[in-house]
Amino acid sequence: MSRLADIAISPELIELARGGDEAAQAAIYRAAGPAVFALIRRLVGNRALAEDLFQDSMMVLFQRLGDFRGEAPLGAWLRQIAVTRSLMYLRSPWHRARLHWEPGDGEGPLRSAMLRVAPAISSDALDVERALAALTPVGRAVVWLFEVEGYSHEEIARSFGRSVSFSKSQLSRALAQLRQGLAPQEDQGACTPI
Amino acid sequence: MHTDLAETIIARRLRAAADDSSEPPYDWAEFQRRGRRRSTATALVGRDRSLAVAASVVAALLVTAVAIVRSSHRHAPARAPQAVVARSGLNDGVGDRGVGDRAEQVATSPAHTRAIEGWLAGLPRDPTVVRVGAHAAVSSLQDQIAALDDLMSAERVAGAAPSRLGALERQRAQLVSSLAQLRYAELLASSTP
Repeated sequence: MSRLADIAISPELIELARGGDEAAQAAIYRAAGPAVFALIRRLVGNRALAEDLFQDSMMVLFQRLGDFRGEAPLGAWLRQIAVTRSLMYLRSPWHRARLHWEPGDGEGPLRSAMLRVAPAISSDALDVERALAALTPVGRAVVWLFEVEGYSHEEIARSFGRSVSFSKSQLSRALAQLRQGLAPQEDQGACTPI
Repeated sequence: MHTDLAETIIARRLRAAADDSSEPPYDWAEFQRRGRRRSTATALVGRDRSLAVAASVVAALLVTAVAIVRSSHRHAPARAPQAVVARSGLNDGVGDRGVGDRAEQVATSPAHTRAIEGWLAGLPRDPTVVRVGAHAAVSSLQDQIAALDDLMSAERVAGAAPSRLGALERQRAQLVSSLAQLRYAELLASSTP
């Protein structure tokens, strides 16, 4: 399953946007923007940084639209741009230092101000946001890419420039943490007295 | 709960959370405004990059020179990676042409850069004694490295030629090396009585 990659944008609209039609570009922005931002926000955690990366990704999209050959959906192409730019931040020691993340691939707990969730979301989604915020940046990125964006371990390993076992161990650790973080609510549901 | 079942439930909840997003962070007009502002800033950075790199390296060398003079009265130098020491000329082999040449050969290799970055990561965030000039040079170099990381990422996405990426890698390696020399000089200066 992949939300961003599944967004349907007509070839006609892409052609118009490629030719500089502002209305077509705005339509693509409105169609793909939410999913792009949601993806980046889940990958990097920090909202201000996510806005910067979102701006970069969408600018790159419109600047490079002429290179898009239509062999894959536009959403998949855009997703690759967004993921590459986000992971670059997770890999860069300078950016990590700026965000006060723990060194060494984010092995330590994330202590910075985290995901500021969108207003009016369900309580379940809020629990998920909290559990995600407790993960390391790398762990969160791996679990999101694997479970939501449908990346394989090989693709994740390639994106991080690491081994497949790195991806598997990060995923396993992140899922274990999520199980713990989400357990109280699951237990509540399972043990409600009749 | 069985692990597989728990993971299936977690995956379903994650996907449901992904579906909760319905708006971009700002509208199209704001996107265009930010885009114009960023384009202007990028143009300025691009124009001044060479000048900034040169200024930082000069600042680094000046601080290094001061540190060398001061460290001549010291007992034991702070530990630094051999490559950094050899390249900066801070060791006994300042006039050793062989050492300098070898250091020059490996200076831009990825392994060398990773080793330096590992050493830098182990340093305290700030030296014991913060000197304004050196601190500004360190910040400037860190900003340039971050900007270069951004640029390399964009070039990779755009499918840039390996030669172009190689040139950027070399430029980054030089910046990292300059930063390491500067931080080493700071360490020496800090430990000078």
